[in-house]
Amino acid sequence: MSAFVELARRNMSVLIAWGIVLVLFAAGVAVSHNFAAPSYLRTLLITASFIGFVGFGQTLCILTGGIDLSMPSVLAGSAVLTAYLAGGTTEGFVHTIPVIISLALVIGVINGIAIAYANVPPIIMTLGMNGALQGLLLVYTNGGVAAQPPAALNAFVSGSFFGVSLVLLTWLLVAAAATLMLGWTTFGRRLYAVGTNPIAAALAGINVRRVVVIPYIVSALSAALTGWLVLGFLGQAFVNMGDEYLFSSAIAVAIGGASILGGRGNYIGTVAGAIVLALVAAILPMFSLGTAALKVSYGLILLATVIIGRQQAART
Amino acid sequence: MSAAADTGKARRAGLGSRLRTVPLLMPYLYIAAFAITILALQPALIASKDVLDGRLSLIVPLALAAYGQTFVIVTRGIDLSLGGLMSLCSALLCTHLNFAGPLVFVDIAAILALGALVGFINGALIGYLRLEPFLVTLATWTILSGLAFAVLPIEGGAPAPSLIAGLSGDLLGIPKSGLVILLLFAAWIWLRRTTFFTDLMATGSDEHRAWLTGVFVRRRKIQAYVWSSTFAAAASIWLTAQTASGSPRIGDEYILASIVAVVLGGTSIFGGLGSAASSVAGAIAFMLIPMVVYALDLESFWSICIQGVVLVLAVVANAIVQTIGARRQS
Repeated sequence: MSAFVELARRNMSVLIAWGIVLVLFAAGVAVSHNFAAPSYLRTLLITASFIGFVGFGQTLCILTGGIDLSMPSVLAGSAVLTAYLAGGTTEGFVHTIPVIISLALVIGVINGIAIAYANVPPIIMTLGMNGALQGLLLVYTNGGVAAQPPAALNAFVSGSFFGVSLVLLTWLLVAAAATLMLGWTTFGRRLYAVGTNPIAAALAGINVRRVVVIPYIVSALSAALTGWLVLGFLGQAFVNMGDEYLFSSAIAVAIGGASILGGRGNYIGTVAGAIVLALVAAILPMFSLGTAALKVSYGLILLATVIIGRQQAART
Repeated sequence: MSAAADTGKARRAGLGSRLRTVPLLMPYLYIAAFAITILALQPALIASKDVLDGRLSLIVPLALAAYGQTFVIVTRGIDLSLGGLMSLCSALLCTHLNFAGPLVFVDIAAILALGALVGFINGALIGYLRLEPFLVTLATWTILSGLAFAVLPIEGGAPAPSLIAGLSGDLLGIPKSGLVILLLFAAWIWLRRTTFFTDLMATGSDEHRAWLTGVFVRRRKIQAYVWSSTFAAAASIWLTAQTASGSPRIGDEYILASIVAVVLGGTSIFGGLGSAASSVAGAIAFMLIPMVVYALDLESFWSICIQGVVLVLAVVANAIVQTIGARRQS
């Protein structure tokens, strides 16, 4: 019994995040019965999953005390390149997959190496990379919108397996893999060690630089993957399509209880954070509140979670 | 150790500490390089007085924003909220706060007061509650951006005509935009010797030690953010007068731009060493990049890409120079 209490105490922020999910869900159902309709929930969770997928990479970066601000352009780049190069066919799409994955790897490696080996602060490096990629995409697309997603992507995003959305199943798999990796592997332990105290980690024999590079590679790959999914969902690709996910991913990780200073947090919290944000975005329109209210709400939520998180950290 | 070896070591130490201020001179190098390129390829872009006035008018908002951002970065912080603040101020100036005639001073005072208030909130959260600057200013950016959308959902509106007239043209034969920039440089000469700025540098360099030597760290942090936001508000006043219309997202591009300008100016992103004047020079260098792109006959979209690359290269360059300087001192 005490083991459970201990587990609960150490993951208090994650539990609070899921508590907020339940409260918001109850509020939504109270306002409109359709809120609990399976098709509505499915769409809501799919939009949450997009935040969740980029949130995975972001969680890893934040755990090591960094952040990936280049994610929006990688997401948009993946979607734009797929829309332009694949020609709408499944075969074309299959041919673009290795191209996009290689590009994402390159971007992640450049980010990681600059941050780990050249001591460029993560905010600066990823901000600069985002600008550089955004510029390249603008040159490539001439600022236009591409609207020819491969049919395979549309099918995947709207498809189901035994009634459960394929996207949500993928999210479940990613969440399971993430939790396993963070909690039960040597790499996960090294990640937390580096995030908590890089000097102590180095003294303990961990190759800190190598550990710091990996989250940025994962983040670039998860952003590319999310780009495919958003392309399948929206049916079009444009340069700024990833911008909204920058705030959302950072706020989701913060809601989940991860400390921006690194060393604390896990992906289950980020999942809760992503669902909280999706719920807020779904509930506000029910009160006829639009973009303005959404932005203000997100900002207030971030502030609240940061302040509460500080009180938590001060207590431990 | 012999006397000769001692003086040799002291001289190298002096050179080392001087090397650490080299990054603050680099923006002038960039300006020279860019200006020479432009003059060589397309001199019409900056050669005549009218064109120069137009260019300077575009630079002033960034120069003001970078000036303020310097105070914050010197304390090891960052101010992302200026994006939302500038958008909100632009929206307000074109809707509710566009009183005409002499009442335009009410508009200006109100906007600057709003800037100070936002800065105070940022500073209090960061200085007193000891929250991370990145997260706090990210949150306030989102909130302010949302408020901007609430005030002005779509681009439009118009500022007071007296504002537009008052901030354009010449004063005593010199373009007003040029005067603003000269004023910023002149103010720096006084500012760099104030306790305010040296305290900020001490806070950014080693906060605990600064506190031990009697620096009111929390108060200084609040002041840094108050000044940063007030300058950003001033930047938005100038910007709105230039564009003569409002936009709820006009401030967003100034976040990356102000940080690049500060970095190009040579201020260390790790805090401790900085110069607001160099940031103004960095802003000028930054705004020259699109002109270089144009002079080189590339599509204008390349500017954004190059600005991102320049940011990273400038940080790496500054870091290298500072490491050399630190090594020579020891």
